[in-house]
Amino acid sequence: MKPVPALASLQARFADAVLDGGDERLAPLLAGDPGVNRRRLAVYRDAVHANRRETLRGAFPVVARLVGEGFFDEATKGFGWRSPPACADLNRYGEGFPAFLAAYPHAAAMPWLADVARLEWAWQESLMAADEPVLDYAALTGIADAEPEGLRLRLHASVRLVRSAWPVLAIWEANQPDRDGTPAREEGTDDVLAWREAQRVRLALLSPPEADFLEGLGRGLPLGEVCAKMDGRDFTGMLVRLARHGMLGGYSVEGAAKA
Amino acid sequence: MSARFAPRAPDPARAGIGLRTPHFEALAGRRPALSFLEVHSENYFADGGPSLAWLERFREDYAVSLHGVGLSLGSADPLDREHLSRLSRLAARIEPALVSEHLCWSSVGGRHLNELLPLPYSEEVLAHVCERVSQVQDMLGRTILVENVSSYLRFASSTIPEGEFVAELACRTGCGVLLDVNNAWVNAVNHGTDAREFLAAIDPATVGEIHVAGCETTPAGLIDTHGAPVFPEVWALLEETLARLGPVPTLVEWDTNLPALDVLLGEAARADAVLAAAAGARRRAAA
Repeated sequence: MKPVPALASLQARFADAVLDGGDERLAPLLAGDPGVNRRRLAVYRDAVHANRRETLRGAFPVVARLVGEGFFDEATKGFGWRSPPACADLNRYGEGFPAFLAAYPHAAAMPWLADVARLEWAWQESLMAADEPVLDYAALTGIADAEPEGLRLRLHASVRLVRSAWPVLAIWEANQPDRDGTPAREEGTDDVLAWREAQRVRLALLSPPEADFLEGLGRGLPLGEVCAKMDGRDFTGMLVRLARHGMLGGYSVEGAAKA
Repeated sequence: MSARFAPRAPDPARAGIGLRTPHFEALAGRRPALSFLEVHSENYFADGGPSLAWLERFREDYAVSLHGVGLSLGSADPLDREHLSRLSRLAARIEPALVSEHLCWSSVGGRHLNELLPLPYSEEVLAHVCERVSQVQDMLGRTILVENVSSYLRFASSTIPEGEFVAELACRTGCGVLLDVNNAWVNAVNHGTDAREFLAAIDPATVGEIHVAGCETTPAGLIDTHGAPVFPEVWALLEETLARLGPVPTLVEWDTNLPALDVLLGEAARADAVLAAAAGARRRAAA
């Protein structure tokens, strides 16, 4: 591609004026009335922010509802400034928003807010995860009987685990469109499992040992090793549940990947 | 051996609509007669999930148009190869009847503004955009349609009228034109130019699709929001355009303040009537 320095410079000045404010360096490049141009530049500036804010509202509807309109507008503006989109596909914008909220001084009175955002992003990731075949219950029982040693189970691409010191699932459920915002529980440290089943994202609460077990599987540890750490608890029921709901993607035995 | 799926082609005598997530279920339930469905390509770039599953279902019944908003065809940056390969993968999976992008830029120096920003229309920029459209067409192995955008600012360095720029781009690269009649009108009002002059500059043989949409009147000018019914002035321009071109697949776009599917289908029915009138006039002229 032949370099186009004049165009590069014009676009850089345009981007500066839209993203950083001020139009002194862009104004000489524009045709037409300067006063009108200033108002029209603001149209682009507003549109860029509104795109980002509405994208984040789509991914974080519960956070948006919890903080209210003015707060959400300011927070998304601050996030856009700190972490602008890194690609042309806005569907991937928002990964850093939970961490931004965790450090956001204005959210200090809502210490659970960042974890609610983590749960919403897990939901998004689960929604967009790759389609892949599942290891179903029949297949699982077959291999578990035949090859118990060195067996590693692989979680389905859509499985995510969010561990929180707050009752995030109760908060999330209470802020769905048909609910009044009052959580059914105000106590709890929720370990929430997100996965996609029949093209819908589902959420479920796990007990802390179940979450530990799932984390072990997620790290790719052999099943025997994961179970050994569980103080003799029986995870057969948990495995059945994972398989029945399409949360297992495949398995391997001593390095040989299957499915 | 099962018969290979044959992708559908749009019926030029009928209008299509932009397909948006809140309408998936209503559309699948009713399956109204439509020429085609158009989606924003980037919304189907994920590796899986329900949106892609819906689109695969809709392509059984409708011709599909992939309409990109993120390729930044006019950027001074090198073409985004990853974006292009995602588009290429999606096109291979969906087998769309049409693939289109915008005559604009949306990123520079690695900064993404995710907005359709205007270009200066000069010989240098024309050569640059031609090179990039050709690269995209080579990568995708097909011709694309390029859409004229609405703009709120113009550049002192523009030396070529927009219509001539678009016509020349099509002539030099073999790409088609996605003629957005609403954008032509928005620009004419915003910049005090003549929409008919713009439309007259476009070679009818290069027009592969037409867009109409609603915009918003503000103190700063007309804003292309895609959030309202099509303006009467735009319907009038569509009538004139189709009378000159003959029937061309015509799409009603609606993106913000999305109404019930019925409202959108009502707009499409109105576009159908304009298309039918244009076809009738052609038949009478030929007889």
